[in-house]
Amino acid sequence: MRRRAALLSLAAAAYAVAAWAATPGFYDGIAPPQPYRWVSPPPQFKSSNQQPLTGHGSVRVASNGSVDPGSIFTQDGQAAVSFVPGAFVAPADRSPVTIDVKPVAEFPNPDGTHLSTNVYCVTSSSALAPGKDVLVTLQFSDQLPAPSDVYEYQGDGPWQKIGSTGSAAPFYIAVRATSLGCFAAGFPANSRQTAQGARVGGGQALPIIVALAILLVVLAGVPLAVMRRRAAAAEEGDEPHR
Amino acid sequence: MPVRVAGLVVLAVSLEWSRVLALRAPGLQGLQAVTLLAGGAALCLLAVGRRPEELGLGRSHLGERLLGGAALAAVLLLPAAARWGGGPGLTPELGVAAVAVSVGEEVAFRGVLFAAIDQAYGPAAAVLGSTAAWTLAHALSHPAAFLPAVAGAGLLLAAWRWATRDLVGPVIGHALADLAL
Repeated sequence: MRRRAALLSLAAAAYAVAAWAATPGFYDGIAPPQPYRWVSPPPQFKSSNQQPLTGHGSVRVASNGSVDPGSIFTQDGQAAVSFVPGAFVAPADRSPVTIDVKPVAEFPNPDGTHLSTNVYCVTSSSALAPGKDVLVTLQFSDQLPAPSDVYEYQGDGPWQKIGSTGSAAPFYIAVRATSLGCFAAGFPANSRQTAQGARVGGGQALPIIVALAILLVVLAGVPLAVMRRRAAAAEEGDEPHR
Repeated sequence: MPVRVAGLVVLAVSLEWSRVLALRAPGLQGLQAVTLLAGGAALCLLAVGRRPEELGLGRSHLGERLLGGAALAAVLLLPAAARWGGGPGLTPELGVAAVAVSVGEEVAFRGVLFAAIDQAYGPAAAVLGSTAAWTLAHALSHPAAFLPAVAGAGLLLAAWRWATRDLVGPVIGHALADLAL
């Protein structure tokens, strides 16, 4: 029994080391990464490139007057905008709020920044509520250096670095944005960006599932262990003395 | 017996690779969830004719098995949770498909293949053999940098299967981890 527990612990440790070396850790990749679709492909991808797709969605206003939460993806999954309840100002007529995500070909010159992805402009029929933000997630190519941050511009620019919160899966980067505009991921042109697929984290459900799993193991495991121990002790007590 | 084991390895890995290649086919890209569901179901078919107990799917100590699944999920997800930065989750359709693939992979690799290798060559070979086949099955869908983590996960799930003779835990742990990421 102890030997089995020791080997199991050893396997868990081996997994932890291997998973820590390649973020996000456990990545089963139920869908294989598709080749990145470029608006203006780098030379090496020109022959096989497909044009990126747009995203469109609408969210209704709930009975309490708050705009529902949701996620709007481009059809190819390369860009997404996620938001919590009440992130958008509810229209006076309670009509649904429409959100569009479009890759664009023309944008201000990102001086000093190397853009690793397409530029996606996010628009909505209703303004973002004061103090609220949206989560912008962008996919990047697995064939090129990973971006370090997400950049945004509004109107005619200029580009501004708005940071990164990691992301949901390998080859994605995300950021919380307090305003809608046009977004792209990139890194300073003078930096040496070589690692690929490094900026990753987990999905929305990840911390909840981990916390619940740990809680379940602790809450249910302790009484279960006590019950088993009592049962074992009772069995020992029932055995006739020799 | 070696022929049977080799046949199962080839079959399980081929099914996984077929699913990956199908997902890359231009005509099937819009049918991602259906393709994943079909892939998971095909893997489950490898268990036809085998008793649940043989695969580690007995109903005794079910509470402990489920608890083991939660513990495995926690271990599998901890490295990612430690670096969590937010992001959208799976759509409901892909969530269902992810569960189907998880169940299929566990039944095929830690269930059928593990039992066959265990019977033929013993438990150490079953742990290592099923892990090697599982890693090979992911070679097409994963960049090389991720394969050590895939192998580590396979080793952990196979070690659990060996130590507890249980497959319910790996199924639960694997499905939860896929859903979270």
